[in-house]
Amino acid sequence: MRKVNALILTGFGLNCDNETAHVFELAGAKAHKIHINTLISGKVKLKDFQILVFGGGFSWGDDHGAGVIQALKLKDHIGKELLSFVDQGNLVIGICNGFQALVNLGLLPGLDNDYTKRSVAITYNDCGNFRDQWVHLTANKKSPCVFTKDIDIADFPIRHGEGKFIADKKIIDTLISQNLIVFQYADKSGTPAKGSFPLNPNGSIDDIAGICDPTGRVFGLMPHPEAYNHFTNHPDWTRNTQILKRAGKSFDQVTIGVKLFKNGVDYIKNSV
Amino acid sequence: MISGIEIALKKELKDARGLGLQKKADSYFGIKIQDARCIDIVTIESDLDRPQLEMIKGEILTNPVTQISSLKPLDIQFDWCIWIGFRPGVKDNAGATALEAIQDHLGKTFGADDGIYTSKRYCLTAKGLKREDVEKLASALLSNSIIQQFKVFHIDQWDKLTGANVKPAKVILDHTPTCEVISIGSNAGLADISDQRNLALNILDIPVIREYFLDSKVLESRAEVGLKEPTDLELEYISQARSDHCNHNSFQGTFRYKDADTKKEVLEKNLFKTYIKEPTLKLKEQKEWVVSVLWDNAGVGRFDEKNNYVVTGETHNSPSNMEAYGGAITGIVGVYRDPMGTGLGSKLFMGSFGYCVGDINYDGPLQPPLHPRRLLDGVIEGVKDGGNKSGVPTTFGQTLFDKNYMGKSLVFVTALGIMPNQVKGKPSHKKTTSPGDLIIMSGGRVGKDGIHGVTASSESYSENTPAGHVQIGDPYTQKKMHDFLLICRDEDLMPFITDNGGGGLSSSIGESAMLSNGCVVWLDKVPLKYEGLDMWEIWISESQERMTIAVRPEDLDRFMELSAEHEVESTVIGEYTNTGKLHIKYKDETCAYVDMDLLEKGFPSWEFDAIWVSPETRGLTEPVISSPSDYNKLLLKILERPNIASKEWIIRQYDHEVQGGSVIKPLIGVKHNIPSDASVTRPVIESQKGLAFSQSLLPWYSKIDAYHMMTCTIDEAVRRLIAVGGNFDHIGGLDNFCWPNIQFDPKNNPDGKFKAAQLVRACRALKEGCEKYEIPLLSGKDSMYVDGHLQGEFGERVKMSAMETIQFSATSVIDDVSKCLTMEPKVSGDLVYVIGTTANELGASEYYDLFDKTGLNVPHVDFDKFKNIYKILQETIESELLASCHAVARGGLGVHLSYMTMAGGLGLDIDLSKLPTDTNRGTLLDETMLYSESAGRFIVTIAPENRPRFEKLLNSISSACIGTITDKHDHLKIAGHYKNTLVDLSINNIEKAFNKTFGDMI
Repeated sequence: MRKVNALILTGFGLNCDNETAHVFELAGAKAHKIHINTLISGKVKLKDFQILVFGGGFSWGDDHGAGVIQALKLKDHIGKELLSFVDQGNLVIGICNGFQALVNLGLLPGLDNDYTKRSVAITYNDCGNFRDQWVHLTANKKSPCVFTKDIDIADFPIRHGEGKFIADKKIIDTLISQNLIVFQYADKSGTPAKGSFPLNPNGSIDDIAGICDPTGRVFGLMPHPEAYNHFTNHPDWTRNTQILKRAGKSFDQVTIGVKLFKNGVDYIKNSV
Repeated sequence: MISGIEIALKKELKDARGLGLQKKADSYFGIKIQDARCIDIVTIESDLDRPQLEMIKGEILTNPVTQISSLKPLDIQFDWCIWIGFRPGVKDNAGATALEAIQDHLGKTFGADDGIYTSKRYCLTAKGLKREDVEKLASALLSNSIIQQFKVFHIDQWDKLTGANVKPAKVILDHTPTCEVISIGSNAGLADISDQRNLALNILDIPVIREYFLDSKVLESRAEVGLKEPTDLELEYISQARSDHCNHNSFQGTFRYKDADTKKEVLEKNLFKTYIKEPTLKLKEQKEWVVSVLWDNAGVGRFDEKNNYVVTGETHNSPSNMEAYGGAITGIVGVYRDPMGTGLGSKLFMGSFGYCVGDINYDGPLQPPLHPRRLLDGVIEGVKDGGNKSGVPTTFGQTLFDKNYMGKSLVFVTALGIMPNQVKGKPSHKKTTSPGDLIIMSGGRVGKDGIHGVTASSESYSENTPAGHVQIGDPYTQKKMHDFLLICRDEDLMPFITDNGGGGLSSSIGESAMLSNGCVVWLDKVPLKYEGLDMWEIWISESQERMTIAVRPEDLDRFMELSAEHEVESTVIGEYTNTGKLHIKYKDETCAYVDMDLLEKGFPSWEFDAIWVSPETRGLTEPVISSPSDYNKLLLKILERPNIASKEWIIRQYDHEVQGGSVIKPLIGVKHNIPSDASVTRPVIESQKGLAFSQSLLPWYSKIDAYHMMTCTIDEAVRRLIAVGGNFDHIGGLDNFCWPNIQFDPKNNPDGKFKAAQLVRACRALKEGCEKYEIPLLSGKDSMYVDGHLQGEFGERVKMSAMETIQFSATSVIDDVSKCLTMEPKVSGDLVYVIGTTANELGASEYYDLFDKTGLNVPHVDFDKFKNIYKILQETIESELLASCHAVARGGLGVHLSYMTMAGGLGLDIDLSKLPTDTNRGTLLDETMLYSESAGRFIVTIAPENRPRFEKLLNSISSACIGTITDKHDHLKIAGHYKNTLVDLSINNIEKAFNKTFGDMI
């Protein structure tokens, strides 16, 4: 099996690097927190990694559009390396601010093998404010996304002011038909929220919470799976453990968050 | 060349800022707007050609999917247009990031005269709106004249080519920097100079200052560097160091405390030393987990074998009252620098907030600088941007409303950090400067920001208080610096670090140079935002996001390399020495040359008269209110009250999960909407250990006696910690005082002696509580002038003082977070217990406040008794006997049983006839049992099978099973003394009331 090295970008206001690195370690990878400038300067090279992580945070303070300046900076300095990284069968995941950066880079949705076109956007929440809230997600079983293998539903927190996914109808239709919509906001049972607030916390079209490219190797989502790295992260854990305890059971200590990352790590481990 | 780029959302997209304006215009002023669109304007002053501008517009500033943009004013329809821009010199964060991005993208460095400025304009479709209405929206909703300017255009005045005609908000001082010598011929003369220059020197300090500078030895030594009488910079240095903000003169003052009833007089020589320092140092000896207290930017406690945690708190009241957003963001970003500058530097892992504001629906004649509603909006947003963009979870917070806070609203911010206990084998909580170390300033640049902020917050407002001390914090710059500094710490590059807060370099270098015993500073090296600052201004400027760091010369290259990689500006601005002198130069000129020990030269302590008049002598009595007949309606009414109602909308705006360690969140329950007792986080993500944190604010009790206000506040904070699983053997405290002016003045502060006595009593209670509960005060802070002078309707100004307030924060370390508890009832059939006794203690309660009464029977704390209860309760939690636990707080059992039934989504059958009571302070009626705020109480639930073990553990303390949890119905049912039904309300109705006041807000 291959050794898996994950590169987690840091610097310029990104702020989820520590827990994202932790969850990758739990998932069996070696996690490296690398400052964007260290990657740009060439001191660290992308080719030594198999997973590239655009994590959460407020890169450049979210000024001039969340993820916009980060995307531009990477495109200007290491645009080609990024494209060949994807081309070589590696994985890219963008979470929250990272998802915003991926769509501004054009790495998502990557339709028609064009990984430079900005065809979707993630804009201001309909509720008009930043919001921290745990959401229920339903996963598209037909999606090629390697991270969501064997995941049906998941609870993760969202923490954003700009999370509303929008695109032209044509693009949305393509995303649907190619099963590129990976996660949708849903109710507890996994039925899509159909736009109802707060189940759909931001007004995303079609309750879209995460999408992938047609290869399933580039994945972006607004909710934070790395924030569910421990069973006590879940907002209902005190109640759920008590109820299970009465039934003589114990709580599953491997969270769905860790499972998501493990899917990615295992994919690399098992690929030739 | 000046160019403008306008950007707007595409027409078919919802414009959240426009909608926000429409909503607020209607709800605040009843002004109806049919449509509002917001346009961002970026104004660039630089020689760029058209293709470059097009590239900036297209690549950086416009999202092709969502936005439209133009190098000319966008042609968007309106009846009225409001343009809002910053005043020159106000921090424009978006302008700064645009500059950074554009320079990187174009590969071009902008010159000193170049700049990028952001502003915006709102296009309003509103038929029949008058200019005065539009100006009201501009001035009272969209801008604050302290930091912003606006222009209003009617469509008929609009020039489609020039648009809003935006000019760069550039600072041009056109001033040659000087360092002035001040003549100190007489005490009166120096007092005049102090007034003219806003030095706020205390009248008692003036002779000491003169004596120093007129001393022949001093004169002789100063002559060597060409100085005689003091320079303006030297007097500013003394003014900063002697301010109440930096020196805590009130707490270190002498109080002649007299009890008006007994005529007994006591001389209190130093409240800080007697009631805070000595007990804490004594506890430090007993508690091995206490690592470092009372000297650094924050206190340090042990978290685990490898890590220490750091905690401190701040208030940022005065600036927030003038410019709520700017004041609050500066406050939170500022307090976050304290842990970064504690020991060798810690990583931030959580923050909290506390807001005390006036009645947000106030419509009387008094005019505070900002209406309470607008103030609260701004403060919430400031802490949101400051906290979220710092990447630090805001895991706890409280918001309080009381009309007395309209004079001065309070903004508390608290910060916690974590650091390895060793850095390269050396203890991380120790730091020092040594001769030869370079003095480095890292982070932001220096401008005229915040000059005299320290002295302004040390005075109550007069008409002449300069507003120039209001700033806007920049969390982005600070986050970059935070990440950079942690790497420097781990590489052991910084023998000393501290932050630049109040007093700027004057405080940070002045204090750090005491350790090496001297320094030389080259002010001309300090990077400035713009030219033309006088030397004294550079020295005391409070420009934000700066740290002062000592670096050994041999480590300079590595430090600078990391600084460049992280794009943080760092500059060598001086050197620590052991000359015994604070030597400040600007090029070849010496601007200051004073002895490092000048501040120890026998400055007199402040003096206060304190006269205590007991509540009984003041004429307070219990009110005469007969028992109500409609308990359902009463409970619903209380749940609607602002201090009890849901404040979910505030908490949701704050990221409380970032860093991935959230265990007990600020909102809990089946609907995640009930405020939790305390928060628990895992600051070391690989570990099962948690840090529990709680805060308490009970200022109302000061209306009766600040002594009991203090004891109740401490007790509540501790009780909250215990409720989530905190460890009574490890409780750290943080005292954050906000007190009205205590210096008696027959005309301006006639009740100053009483307020001084309240302070003495609060301090006595603080010591008692900390000793009994064994709480070392890891950190603390005092804000001594929470008074305001509000403009009235006849041209008069009315003084309004805030209540004597303490925010007490408590920390505890939990070994295994999987044993933590939340309050919600979890399983039908479980038993409900009340632990602790309920007494006739409705004084200053929420219940009495409903009837606009104060009463007399303020709750009393019996520390010894409660300590026993808490230890036993802790044992039951550690033995995993409880299913839920909740600390009863403001509003008593009525309110807290309601919280629990909502949190669990299950019915409760409660029988108050079984309630353990104490009749020493009078008999308990049904309403007393429901709404008494007696301290030391919990409501817990247990599985029936745990009953024998549980009751056995509890046999020495007052407790009783008062009911059961049920899923047979979804009501809160409470029976009274005679098993009479008092309350029978559905959860749905309870929730409706709880959400009625603020439930629509998001």
